[in-house]
Amino acid sequence: MNSVSLGGSTTKRRSRRGGMSRNAGSDVKAAYLFIAPAVIGFLVFVGYPLIRSFYLALTKYNGLTDPVFVGLGNFRRLFTTDPAFWPALRATGYLVLLYVPLSLILGLALAMFCNQRFAGVRIVRTLAYLPVVLPAVATITLWKFMLDPQVGLLNTILDRLGLPTSLWLQGPSTAMPSVVLVMLWGVGGTMIIFLAALQSVPTELYEAARVDGAGPWSVFFRITLPMISPIVLLQVILQTTAALQTFNQPKILTGGGPGFSTNVLMLSIYNNGFPTLGRIPQLGYASAQVWVLFIIIIAVIALTAKFSSLWTYSDSTSD
Amino acid sequence: MTALQTEAALPDTAQIVPPPKKKSRLVGTTSWYVVALFICAVMVVPLLWMITIGLKSRTAVFDIPPKLLPHEFHWSNFIKGPETIHFPRLFLNSMIITTLSVLGGVMTAMMAGYALARLRFPGRKLWFYLFVGSMLLPGVVGLIPLFQMYKSIGWYDTWLPLIVPAFLGGNPLFIFLARQYFLAIPYSIDEAAKIDGAGHLRIFVSVMLPLTRPAWLTMAILAFQASWNDFLNPLVYLYSSGKWPLSVGMASFISPFAGKTPDWSYYMATNLLYMLPPLIIFFAAQRYFIQGLGALGSTNQK
Repeated sequence: MNSVSLGGSTTKRRSRRGGMSRNAGSDVKAAYLFIAPAVIGFLVFVGYPLIRSFYLALTKYNGLTDPVFVGLGNFRRLFTTDPAFWPALRATGYLVLLYVPLSLILGLALAMFCNQRFAGVRIVRTLAYLPVVLPAVATITLWKFMLDPQVGLLNTILDRLGLPTSLWLQGPSTAMPSVVLVMLWGVGGTMIIFLAALQSVPTELYEAARVDGAGPWSVFFRITLPMISPIVLLQVILQTTAALQTFNQPKILTGGGPGFSTNVLMLSIYNNGFPTLGRIPQLGYASAQVWVLFIIIIAVIALTAKFSSLWTYSDSTSD
Repeated sequence: MTALQTEAALPDTAQIVPPPKKKSRLVGTTSWYVVALFICAVMVVPLLWMITIGLKSRTAVFDIPPKLLPHEFHWSNFIKGPETIHFPRLFLNSMIITTLSVLGGVMTAMMAGYALARLRFPGRKLWFYLFVGSMLLPGVVGLIPLFQMYKSIGWYDTWLPLIVPAFLGGNPLFIFLARQYFLAIPYSIDEAAKIDGAGHLRIFVSVMLPLTRPAWLTMAILAFQASWNDFLNPLVYLYSSGKWPLSVGMASFISPFAGKTPDWSYYMATNLLYMLPPLIIFFAAQRYFIQGLGALGSTNQK
């Protein structure tokens, strides 16, 4: 892991020395051969679909006959007449606002908990990461049954403890929090990244703080949090963009219901673009929804990055 | 952090620190273990419960009130369940798709990473930024055009859309990771190999690949996980159930179909088998899992 972070300095050292230029000709040829698969892949699977998808968003297209250009018609329909679009947007926003902060807070808390020296801490760390390793479909289906109101484990336990039970996925107001609950079972993924960040904080800082008599809270807010803030920023961006694209959980757990309560944008895109047999795919319309989602993602990344200087700490000497 | 002392340091401090402090440390340790136990329970109990469901009879699953443990153990579920779900076929499909996409993804990412890190060519920076930029591009943007493209070239309902992209640089994250590892290897090694008359292919295969073993093992594990777990792509590209991988096959078994209640005990018994390959890999190569993600964290922090 240490060797990886050396990367930056090696580049600098390398560009200063001109020894490689002797074989410049063969270098170029070899480089193009080595990079060719990735370049072709980029052009075919990233570049082309990106442009094509933008064009399709401006058309009416069923996948069988040629696309018909309709300008911004799809977007007009989305924002004004489609009864399902605003609920989808709202459901997506609700999911993100519920999941991302909880995932970050729990992930960080878990990382700090697992960053302590107790016998058995590795077992806790391993088990906390375990759900991340398991196939998503396997864990989601398991939770679907866990959350069953009649025979599920959660209500069984709550009932035995004399606590009120819940409809979970089947209740209009509890469905989305339940979906988020299932997603949070994989919080070990967030934990692992925070754990790496915590371990890279120099211990001298903690020692100095202890000498100065700082309490645990001020150590956390004055040292830990500022030192790992670049990773927090990265996590905010990655988790938000991932959460905006949540598909597996609502698709398998609820199918978007009850009503439109968990019908997130991705599910709506899927259902418009790849409908069940007998219905006509609306690929142009689905593409317009894809672009709404894409623009939201770009906006989130841009805004988070823009305001990051307000709350992230950067070591000015490193640049 | 301040409360953390190693076991060996405990007696020393105990002499200096007044009794109430010692007591509070005991309380701290106890409460740590209470919380640890709770975390472990949250992670493990669902899996244990899954096994008990897998052992229950098909009707006992729906007993009200539900019983936590099965009355009689139906080991046969572990045979009949996989049979009903066509587990062997789904497993084979998943294996073929995953093996090929791991192979392709790791190989082409290593090649691209090598070129980006250690060779000079016009456009090196540009391609690096394009690959890194495409990491942030949501996968869904390409879904519809690619679906149409595959359909028009006859790849719909074949495994090709799940395999071929991997052989063409598939995952930009891997390219990034590969480049980072290659940058950290001293250049004197290539120089020496070049003086010995080795070409780039020789250097890549017999010098670089052995040196970057942790890198490509990590990538292989991440690629395995990504492909084994992928649900959306096979769901969109594969129509015939005979070609489905496990993810789609398993999910379809419990999706409400024609008002039929799914057979949960069969399902959970099979689900355990579905989880086994990634579990085995995780426990065998835990180091690489953690290392890969850790490396990602530390490189981005720089």
